[in-house]
Amino acid sequence: MMQMGKRLFRKSFKRKQKQQEVAEHAENKMEERYGDEGISSNLQENIDFLHEAFGKAPDIIIRQFVIKHREERKAAIVFIDEMVDKDLINRNILRPLMIDSEKVTSTDDLWDLVTERLVSAGETKNVLKKTEILTGVLAGDTVLLIDQYEQGYVVGTKGWATKSISEPRSESVVRGSREGLSETIVLSLAMIRRRVKDPDLRVCTYELGKRTKTCVNLLYMDGLIDPQIVMEVEQRLKRIQIDGVLESGYVEELIQDQTWTPFSQLQNTERPDTVVAHLLEGKVAILIDGSPHALIAPAIFTQFYFSAEDYYERFWIATFLRIVRLISFFMALLLPAFYIALVSFHPEMIPSHLAISMAAGRATVPFSAILEALMMELSVEILREASVRLPGPIGPTIGIVGALVIGDAAVTAGLVSPAMVIVVGLTTISSYANPSYSAAISVRLLRFPFMIAASVLGLYGIMLLFFLLCAHLVQLRSFGVPYMAPYAPFNLTDLKDSLFRASWKYMNMRPVTFKPQDRQRQTLVHKGKDENSHETSGR
Amino acid sequence: MIERGKISALQMAMILHSTIAATALLAMPSVTMKYAHQDMWLSPIWASLGGFLIVWITFQLHKFYPKESFIEYVPRIIGRFLGSIFAFLYLFFYWIILGDIVREYGEFLITNFLAHTPYSVISGSMLLVCAYAVRGGVEVIGRSAQFFVPIVMPLFLIVLLLLIPDLKPQNMLPMFEHGLKPSLIGAIPPLSAFYGEFFLISFLYPYVSDKQNKLRWGIYSVLSVVWTMLLVSFSTLLIFGKVGAHLTYPLIGVARYISLADFLEHLESIVAAIWVLSMFIKMTMIYYALSLGTAQWLKLTDYRPLIFPIGILSLVLSIWTVPNLQVLSQFINSTGTIYFLLMQYLIPLLLLIVAYFRRKQNQKKVAEQA
Repeated sequence: MMQMGKRLFRKSFKRKQKQQEVAEHAENKMEERYGDEGISSNLQENIDFLHEAFGKAPDIIIRQFVIKHREERKAAIVFIDEMVDKDLINRNILRPLMIDSEKVTSTDDLWDLVTERLVSAGETKNVLKKTEILTGVLAGDTVLLIDQYEQGYVVGTKGWATKSISEPRSESVVRGSREGLSETIVLSLAMIRRRVKDPDLRVCTYELGKRTKTCVNLLYMDGLIDPQIVMEVEQRLKRIQIDGVLESGYVEELIQDQTWTPFSQLQNTERPDTVVAHLLEGKVAILIDGSPHALIAPAIFTQFYFSAEDYYERFWIATFLRIVRLISFFMALLLPAFYIALVSFHPEMIPSHLAISMAAGRATVPFSAILEALMMELSVEILREASVRLPGPIGPTIGIVGALVIGDAAVTAGLVSPAMVIVVGLTTISSYANPSYSAAISVRLLRFPFMIAASVLGLYGIMLLFFLLCAHLVQLRSFGVPYMAPYAPFNLTDLKDSLFRASWKYMNMRPVTFKPQDRQRQTLVHKGKDENSHETSGR
Repeated sequence: MIERGKISALQMAMILHSTIAATALLAMPSVTMKYAHQDMWLSPIWASLGGFLIVWITFQLHKFYPKESFIEYVPRIIGRFLGSIFAFLYLFFYWIILGDIVREYGEFLITNFLAHTPYSVISGSMLLVCAYAVRGGVEVIGRSAQFFVPIVMPLFLIVLLLLIPDLKPQNMLPMFEHGLKPSLIGAIPPLSAFYGEFFLISFLYPYVSDKQNKLRWGIYSVLSVVWTMLLVSFSTLLIFGKVGAHLTYPLIGVARYISLADFLEHLESIVAAIWVLSMFIKMTMIYYALSLGTAQWLKLTDYRPLIFPIGILSLVLSIWTVPNLQVLSQFINSTGTIYFLLMQYLIPLLLLIVAYFRRKQNQKKVAEQA
């Protein structure tokens, strides 16, 4: 065992060394990729470069027009849809250049004329390099290019819609962004663009639904993601032949690997920051017009139990919360089953004092444990369903009436035992501790088979069903990625972000599970020493 | 190839560890103690040599026929007719083993926990769950093992740690009262019945993806089994002394011993959980080897249609073979020893020798032709 451990350690150490070399090599990626090249004097050449760099993304707008001043000169402005203030562009850039330019009588050079007299915007900058166009556009500015000039003019036009952005309803956090994706796909795209200012963010557009013609965008980081995954997702998206796509759920069910499973193999999220985090881990995101939910693929089991906040809070707290969530997962799944098994099969396993008081509570109950549990669980499910559908203000009332009044009355009437009420209450609360609604639903569903198994075979039945569940989980795959990674198949380095979250200082590598092409997450390989602390310690 | 899945060498080692440690955990101490008395802790170490031998033999055979399982290459070594008969004997052997294990499993649960549940329900439901895992193929078995071993190991260690206050080291004395002979005789049952099961590795070798580490991880798994057996032996010996030989499941008794602050009691259910978890992997592995082997023997393209019939037959066989647990343990310790030694050590060794000489002859022929 010792040897095994040593060997494992040595292996990871070797890998680390190699990674360090890679890190030094990959510094300043953008410069390396697009070079130090200056802006060409040929406008078409510049436009071609932009098309190539952005991978023909649908939200990159290149508006070509003609400036007429003494002679006609071709020009173009480049900006990203929904990241700019279009009014400002129309009024202060396009209008003066296209219309007012004819009226100006001046013998100045056209470039000076444009920059000094025509474009009426406050924040401007002259740029010379091609990479500077990219950074300008990605920051939400507009870049003006004129034929025969080897320079670009960056006009500050940042202005994204903030009014219509609402808070994500299903994934709220204490610390972190309060923005949720929009139902308008272009706006959602702009929100994501705002968070990753990298031209490598590829956006492919699909039109799904023969009648609805819904716009669907596939997002991924080119050069980072495993191309195999992109190919697989693209193929499956192209296979969709349905007449209407109204929500992300349609796409999810049509492209998932396995239909006969209660577990979702694509994650959905309302948070743009979560989408970006997954993109940077080498996954794809699918945006669907008309739905504020983005789909993330491939998804593994553990990521459904991670909240966005896990990465924003300190890692101690994140780890603790993940353990709490694991416990609540098992409680939501097994607690009623355990209650049934203990009461009806293994009363000797309950400590004697508790067993006596529980037996006293159950003395008046006319039902068997399974019937009691099924009744209570079902009524809680009804309550939940009712409170979701009810108009806002009445919801809490129903909750109080249902849970408190009926629950209490049922206990006093001797219909259910007090222990059962506690069990049901705990189960319901624990199932809400799950950050992902779609994963919580599957647990909610699986609880019933476990209860039935417990009523037939006791703890042994629970165990058997648990084996079945594990055997099922390990054979699931999501776009070729094993669902239970990094536990089975096991991966030591990926365990940094599993039940424990290591500090960002130590997570230098992206997870191997998704086979990213670019494994490096941060260049600096920290040694765990705090360099800043030396300066202040002298005081 | 029928099986397209791939497992890692680590997964292979974990499957083997659970497969062998599962039964050894409960049944081994009383058997070794019967012959080796207070020197019984030495027996698993002697016996482990057999484990290393099997891992080595099967690896050499695997090197001759890298893409085939045992059932497939036996006919290639000793001819189609004889080879088919031999392969069938092996399938029959595993059928009996599976039946025995199912029986052992059912009897254990009935005697210790579920006294009123019918035997066929207990074993049948477990076989059904195993059948589902077998359907998923070698990948599912490997990953299940990888999932369960990290749960089992800490539980096992916790149980043993809690025992420390009750240990009586003087139970080991007198050491080597009658020389090394008793411990060597005591090594024979674990050699044949437990370490012999390492022969299952010949069904896994073709599906391991990292080629360089196959043998190494095979040996690691033998080592981890030795380590587990040693811990079990010591805990039984140091608590019960010579009385352990008369207990059917000493480790369960050991766990009942634990009582911490009048709160932590009934830990035998943890031992049972460990055992059932490992038994799941063990039954699935043998069930899988049997199903896959049968399909390979009959030259079918898929082994999945065979899973159900084989499961039902194994359940029936588990009832037919022995009338009760006493007869079963009698069989394992007497006739079974010879049977296991023959099938898992002797025949593979002979096959390896034949394969070696055939390979040499072939090379000569090729050289002559050239």
